[in-house]
Amino acid sequence: MKNIFLSFKRTPYQTFAIILILFFSLFLISNILIFFSFLNSFLNYIETKPQVTIYFKPNTSEDYISKIKNQLIQTGKITNIIYINQKKAFEIYKKLNQDNPLLLEMVSPETMPPSLEIYTKKPEYLEEIAQGFKNKENIDEVQYQANIINKLLKINQTLRIISLVFIFYLSLMTIIVLTIITWFKILLKKDEIDLLRLLGASKFYIRKPYLKENLFLATLSTILSFISFTSLILYFYPFLKNYLMGIDNLYLKFNSFQIIVWPININFLLIVFFISWFFGLLISIFSTYLATNKYLKV
Amino acid sequence: MIIFDKVTKKFPLGNTALDNLEFTIEDNEFVFLVGPSGAGKTTILKLILKEIDPSLGTIIIDEDDITSKNFNNLENLRKKIGIIFQDFKILYDKNVFENVSLTCNIENLNIKQTKEKTNQALKLVGLEEKKYLFPIQLSAGEIQRIAIARAIVTERKYLLADEPTGNLDPKTAWEIIKIFKRFENKKTIIIATHNIDIVNSLEKRVIALKQGKIIKDKRKGGYQI
Repeated sequence: MKNIFLSFKRTPYQTFAIILILFFSLFLISNILIFFSFLNSFLNYIETKPQVTIYFKPNTSEDYISKIKNQLIQTGKITNIIYINQKKAFEIYKKLNQDNPLLLEMVSPETMPPSLEIYTKKPEYLEEIAQGFKNKENIDEVQYQANIINKLLKINQTLRIISLVFIFYLSLMTIIVLTIITWFKILLKKDEIDLLRLLGASKFYIRKPYLKENLFLATLSTILSFISFTSLILYFYPFLKNYLMGIDNLYLKFNSFQIIVWPININFLLIVFFISWFFGLLISIFSTYLATNKYLKV
Repeated sequence: MIIFDKVTKKFPLGNTALDNLEFTIEDNEFVFLVGPSGAGKTTILKLILKEIDPSLGTIIIDEDDITSKNFNNLENLRKKIGIIFQDFKILYDKNVFENVSLTCNIENLNIKQTKEKTNQALKLVGLEEKKYLFPIQLSAGEIQRIAIARAIVTERKYLLADEPTGNLDPKTAWEIIKIFKRFENKKTIIIATHNIDIVNSLEKRVIALKQGKIIKDKRKGGYQI
């Protein structure tokens, strides 16, 4: 630790430059992570709503509907199917229009269409299922939130590509700047490194002080970035609360494991912190390796 | 044991530093490498340290062929060698103690061992009182002693010295040689020098070189220009 601070004292500008570039990259990467967590969890949320509803003609037999239901289950793309018979449909209709007796008088259970509410495993299957049943016998109408889901999917995919390119660019920029600054620091100690090699020091022994220094700076930058993005989130929290009104929970699912994204909680923030810390450490290790490699050929 | 088997070293510009050199240095031997400037003394030391590789031939150190492409034990080889460079290679931003203890740090000795061994080495070279001074505050002879202390601070098997008495007055030169004499029969000592007085008075093995070739190899030799 003493040597790390001594090195900072000897090369304050280089140290400051490393902190700035690491902070900038890690802060942006953390924000991208948070943004995508929200976007993906929002898609998950939409997936919990009925995604495709197939309305059958009023006099369609239950056997036929059951056959269609089995066909859908066999595709393997479905998470759940709920059959709404005419009676149940009428009850729903009554509930929805309880304030309008005129509308209630006009319908009876026999006029209501039976329907299947379908939940798919992935939003990408919606279009396929909807198109597949559109022109089938006894099917009156197929409804799905094509626009919203398609838009979200497209936005998600486009942003994912842009963000990946951006993260790659940020990482590359950080690695290059960090490598060059570490080079400068090494250059000041080139004679010492040559001597250490000739005295039998291992490559790791020589890399160790630079590695320790950069790992320390990566940790410091991660903490600064964590404080910054947490402050930013807390600042915008009332706005987010207002915007996401009616949504109790947003979460990311990874097989059996799930992370609650909304409401904002310390676990989610810590996960973002650890991911960006890991990223910072990785960049530091890689840059130090690149910078020291050149001077370890003696 | 160090074996040079038909070793030739040519530099990229074409000049031959060593030409088909063959000799063996036994464990705990005290050897002087003598010859005029450009004879190849420093090249031999650099080859032993594997700072450079030969163009042809084989160098074997303790049964390891260090010229083999499969040799991957560079750090351990160098950890067997204590070296005193012609240009001292002293770090001017570190004090005497820090310069000497570098070798201990490389060998991962703990703080207590490092202190103990460094103080011992400094006592041996007569710099114990000046351990917290920086090289810039010392004379040429004292700086040379730092380099010696750094080479002997840990129990390295080989002690190589490249012109250890160069640019020193005769009295200081003898004091330096006395330090080497303390390790006689304890380490393999190879000293590259052209100090005739010292070589002749010590009567140790002398390998004389001229234009990269051995012109004399005497067990109890002397040296004449």
